[in-house]
Amino acid sequence: MSVVLKTPSTFQQYKTLLRKDLEQEFRTKEMITSMGIYALLVLVVFGAALGQTTQALDLLQVSGGLLWTLIVFTSLLGLNRSFNHEKEQGCLEGILLVPLDRSVIFLAKATSNILFLLAVEVITVPLFYFFFLTAVTPGESFWLLVLPLLVGTIGMAGIGTLLSTITVNTRGKDVMLAVLFVPIIFPLLFACASATTAIIVGAEGAMDVFYPALLLAAGYDVIMLLLSWVLYDFVISA
Amino acid sequence: MANAKKSHALPEGGQWPDAIAFWAVLAGAVLTTIGFLMAFLYAGPVNGASVDGMPEMIGGQMVSSKLLLSQKIFYFHMPVAIVSFGALAFAGYYSVRFLMTKNQRYDTCAKVAMEISLIFVVCTMITGDLWTRFEWGVWWTWDPRLTTYLILMLIIIAYFVLRGFIDEPERRSIYSAVVSIIALVDVPICLMITRMIPSSIHPVVLREGGMTGDMGMTVGVCMIGMILLGFGMYRLRFRQVRLAQRVQALKDELEEN
Amino acid sequence: MNPVLAEIYSTILPSAPFIIAAYALMWLVLLIYVVMVVRGLKKTEAQMSILEEQVAELRAQKH
Repeated sequence: MSVVLKTPSTFQQYKTLLRKDLEQEFRTKEMITSMGIYALLVLVVFGAALGQTTQALDLLQVSGGLLWTLIVFTSLLGLNRSFNHEKEQGCLEGILLVPLDRSVIFLAKATSNILFLLAVEVITVPLFYFFFLTAVTPGESFWLLVLPLLVGTIGMAGIGTLLSTITVNTRGKDVMLAVLFVPIIFPLLFACASATTAIIVGAEGAMDVFYPALLLAAGYDVIMLLLSWVLYDFVISA
Repeated sequence: MANAKKSHALPEGGQWPDAIAFWAVLAGAVLTTIGFLMAFLYAGPVNGASVDGMPEMIGGQMVSSKLLLSQKIFYFHMPVAIVSFGALAFAGYYSVRFLMTKNQRYDTCAKVAMEISLIFVVCTMITGDLWTRFEWGVWWTWDPRLTTYLILMLIIIAYFVLRGFIDEPERRSIYSAVVSIIALVDVPICLMITRMIPSSIHPVVLREGGMTGDMGMTVGVCMIGMILLGFGMYRLRFRQVRLAQRVQALKDELEEN
Repeated sequence: MNPVLAEIYSTILPSAPFIIAAYALMWLVLLIYVVMVVRGLKKTEAQMSILEEQVAELRAQKH
């Protein structure tokens, strides 16, 4: 009888890596809890900051931006954590010993980051609506909000995975990630905030802003994900 | 700028570009001075003033009636902005070279080019912001070009902060090369996105409504001067950094013995 | 004088400080950088010559 050694396919490797992240999360619930509570706290801060705003129109116009502020800060927290425990337990070294294509690590890590972020958004966006948008009437096509949220999350998780891999090896990780992350995702943030504001306000011609902004954000996603995918090999091997 | 040789020779201090680096700085200084004088003495004082008696060319639009002395900033603003982006492009080029060859020399080149880019970006911000202050009456507005340059400046600063936060030279050079490539891709996207999203809040100002011959000439002289200046500064700084590296290597060797 | 031109020329004086400031600050930034680099170069060259002397001394001792 001979032993058959089969190299797992790339997709299997990807699935294994992704499952590792998800299982760890299901066991500890560390990421979701910390990100969720953090998001809630940011909402409370918004409440204090906007305490004096009475005019409904003002709130409608700033709420798109506020939502994205919330998402950026929460994803910063999540991205910081996502590589921290890999580093702490020497897990990354183990993964790097396995003969697999390095970009698979990127894809798996980016996917798990996207999933965590989406999970947090599922909790926080309704909360945001509850706290800030029930008193005012957002535009009719409010539900289209999911599109910029999705596009923005993919882009942020993609480039954020690359950047957090860089910053986890530096001194002052948390600060460094913010310093790199915020300027680099600025275009995406700008486009997504424009799209979100357009549909929340729901003024006439909102769609003329919404679709171009969404398209530009998607373009950013494609370019930046490809770039991160190419560059990831260098970063993770360093 | 410092793309002197695409051959196999590594960029090193003391090669032929250094012989002309000093003269490049000097010529750049002279040319920018000439450009400065031309901007005030040679170029038409008022854009459209030669069509005296045809007020509809000047009046009617508030914007064009103010294209005046403040427009003189433009003669230096545009060349400086172009040089800063050119330096960024060279930093990106050297970063790619670094990732291909893993030779530290290219990392040094990229770092110095980034530094030059930062200096010129700061100059662009200063000139652009003072123009904004007079033309639009505000110190800051989220205009596409202003925003893009702010983002560019922040990314370059982040690049240097990152370098400061990593101790291992190998890792530092790889990470910073990756960041500078991302910066090079990110900045045009930023300009495109901030420009193409329709927004009714910001004023659209027609600044380059066609240049007359004398204006083009002045911009050209300033442009050549700034490019020479940027090149000369790059070589000077590069020579200094290389020399410092060699001093360090020599010191280490002496300590070992 | 053409009234429009008169209006145009009336903006020269208020805008002058900004233009002067823009040129002056830009010139200052470039100048400071060049001066810093040249000074750094001088310093490193001095260090280099000191080191070369040391190396020469060490060589002389060994022989």
